[in-house]
Amino acid sequence: MVVVAQKPLHPLDEYLRTDRLPHIWCPGCGLGMILQAFLWSVKELYERGKIDPDKVVFVTGIGCTGRASGFVNFDSAHTPHGRAIAFATGVKLANPKLIPVVFSGDGDIAGIGGNHLLHAARRNFDVLVIMANNMTYALTGGQLAPTTPFTVYSTTTPKGNPDQPLDATKMVYALKPNYVARLSITHPTLIRESIKKALLKRGFRWIEVLSTCSEIFGRHINFRDPYELYERLKKVVKFRRPQSIDDIKYDWDNEITCGTFIDKDDPGWMETYMKMYGLEDKLGGL
Amino acid sequence: MRQEFLNSNQAVAEGAMSAGLNVYIGYPITPSSDLFEYLSEKLPERGGVVFQAEDEIATINALVGASLSGARTMTATSGPGFSLMAEGVGFAAMVEAPLLIVNVMRTGPSTGIATQIGQGDIIQSRWSSHGPYNLVVYAPASAQEAFDYTVRAFNAAYIVRTPAVLLSDAVLAHTRERVTVRESHEVEIVDRKKPAEPPSEYKPYRSDSSDMVPSFAYYGEGYHPIAESLSHDERGYYKTDPRIYRNLVERLVHKVERNKAKLVESRSYYTDDADIVFVAIGSMARSVLALVRDLRADGVKAGLFRPISVWPFDDESFVSSISGAKSIVVVELNQGQLYEIVKSVLWERGIKDMSLHKLDMILPELPGPDEILEEINSRGWRLW
Amino acid sequence: MAMEKHEIVIAGRGGQGILLAGYILGKALVDAGYYVVNSEEYSAETRGGDSKSELVVTKGEEPDIIKVRKADLAIFMYTDQMKKYSKLVGDSATVFLDSTFIESKPEGWSNVIMVPFTEIAEHEVGNIRTANMVILGMFASKVGMVSLDLLEKSMSSVTRPTWIEVNKKALQKGYSLKV
Ligand code: SF4
Repeated sequence: MVVVAQKPLHPLDEYLRTDRLPHIWCPGCGLGMILQAFLWSVKELYERGKIDPDKVVFVTGIGCTGRASGFVNFDSAHTPHGRAIAFATGVKLANPKLIPVVFSGDGDIAGIGGNHLLHAARRNFDVLVIMANNMTYALTGGQLAPTTPFTVYSTTTPKGNPDQPLDATKMVYALKPNYVARLSITHPTLIRESIKKALLKRGFRWIEVLSTCSEIFGRHINFRDPYELYERLKKVVKFRRPQSIDDIKYDWDNEITCGTFIDKDDPGWMETYMKMYGLEDKLGGL
Repeated sequence: MRQEFLNSNQAVAEGAMSAGLNVYIGYPITPSSDLFEYLSEKLPERGGVVFQAEDEIATINALVGASLSGARTMTATSGPGFSLMAEGVGFAAMVEAPLLIVNVMRTGPSTGIATQIGQGDIIQSRWSSHGPYNLVVYAPASAQEAFDYTVRAFNAAYIVRTPAVLLSDAVLAHTRERVTVRESHEVEIVDRKKPAEPPSEYKPYRSDSSDMVPSFAYYGEGYHPIAESLSHDERGYYKTDPRIYRNLVERLVHKVERNKAKLVESRSYYTDDADIVFVAIGSMARSVLALVRDLRADGVKAGLFRPISVWPFDDESFVSSISGAKSIVVVELNQGQLYEIVKSVLWERGIKDMSLHKLDMILPELPGPDEILEEINSRGWRLW
Repeated sequence: MAMEKHEIVIAGRGGQGILLAGYILGKALVDAGYYVVNSEEYSAETRGGDSKSELVVTKGEEPDIIKVRKADLAIFMYTDQMKKYSKLVGDSATVFLDSTFIESKPEGWSNVIMVPFTEIAEHEVGNIRTANMVILGMFASKVGMVSLDLLEKSMSSVTRPTWIEVNKKALQKGYSLKV
């Protein structure tokens, strides 16, 4: 049988398991935009000879965002809830030539997996973490997330959220890894630029992307149309350079500060360890 | 080959290095920490990496990532840490990641007594995680066996593509004995089954062979495997179809049984003419063996069956070791976990003409032969 | 021919060097051709708690047991642990007691050697922490089984280089002690 190579329908098709499409994400969901930005970044870096897509290991946890590992055509893992960063750490330890990328949601990364985030960041461990923040546990129907704004409704806090939310970016900023940025799906080009930069860096790289969960979060706060939630997010997103850590705001009613907050180039954990323990030759460098 | 005077923690570390260990990930916990410390010094000298994770949950998940990326990888822990790893053990089983967990058993439940022996993790070693799956568990009884079965457990992990557990205990961990350390070229090392097909045809969860074990492409080799913690088909695609689930999970469960002949191990002592056969594992088996010798000196026909592979259980050898016996006594430092295994073997084999006794000694220390005898006498059993 | 077999208990407080003494003696006995099973017990804290090292030593076949049943040789460096573990020691055992910390020997034992090992370590060797080595030196001269040479060799292979000289001095001191 002669197989005729088909021209892809979309320029990103080669990075997708097209037999798994359509994806599960709702119309109006912001997650696809983040994934798209990631795929464009890999494609562009590959075409410029900067990255080998076969060395990318795409690791997700549990949640709507977590499902992305099934859609992409990379080495990938859909790990237990909260464990994506831990898994990615093992990937790098085993083979420093691999490029582990964690792509997961706020509940997964900052809630149940928060301890791994904290420690990977303080170690400046060589992994890129992209956290989609939709401020809710979306896949399971809208329970309280660590990122849910104060007083906002969730199905497990029906009279409003009594917790102060976690500003994960601010926490990571305090740990001073190589790269810290917060972006928003309302500004997709910036996501792509940021991922491209972060993919090529060593050490711990953190990109939080504010996303719209129109189906759950949006409806729960009475936005009937995904566009209304999008507009609402756009209003609160403020790109600016903070003066200090206290100047990074995570306030759903006034401002969620966005931008690139740290961009430096210290040696990552792998490099430090290999130098310290005389392993550079044996492991072949990064 | 060299002779060393090592405790079991050190012997495990040496065995692991000879078995090709290249990534050790751990979190300190008594009585396993000195194994971690030993490797922290020695493994980098051999080109391996040692990493201290933030907790045991990170440890087990990082082990899975390392395993799928091509590393021979292990950790050592004790009860509380092993409990924390439970979910990750199921994940490793689900994505068929070969790796080794050494559980140096201590007194439980909960924090228990950190430095003291326990044998309360026998059932847990097999099924710590939720969901149906199986893995391989070995229980050594000396420093030499700690070395030998570390090598063996690594091989078992690769033979069936599953996590393997080495059940040591706090007494063995800190008991030195002579150990013949064999180097990598002197031990048998079972490697992964490499995919024969090109990447475009590769299915990470397909097994066509009789051993039910799929071939194993590492990350970074261009095969793009998916490690899927959800129920999945041969490609690793999430499926809720009951037939697909059944195909997958039946394979996960049965592949250990299917490869049983390559995995089982046990030792029998004086069982040929034994009227009474004791069953015990680990350091407890050493005390029981001393008791058996005492009883023999007194004219009692006693014997010992010592399972080394706790799972899969060497039921063939067990059944032949009890063929002439009238009673079985299972001796252990817990409420009767090994007893439950023995009981189910007897039931499955239809062996009913046998009195089975549970010598459950819930103690935080290793009893000697005299104390075991005293305990037997206190139960009022008429065994001889 | 009866198999040569010895059971040895060494116990004291954490920090007295009990486990190290057991290790060094065990390693020397291995070199002397014995099969040695050397188990250790200690409390979670490294200072002040119980510390015990046991050795089951045979020539010929490998022993089954790990733990001592009735010791024929014992070393105690502190009263509390001597009382706690005296049940492990046979009446006719050779027992070394550090009289710096142990005031009187208990009833029953017929073959007790009481020496102020810690005082000797402090004043005659010049380092209070070498009391364990003074005892081992004396053990070698009174019990036999290992030579001073093998003890020195074993000690040198397991202690840090800065300790080797003073430990050697302590072993020699113990070896030449007269009761
Ligand atoms: S539930 Fe929310 S986050 Fe999940 S796919 Fe739908 S819109 Fe997106």
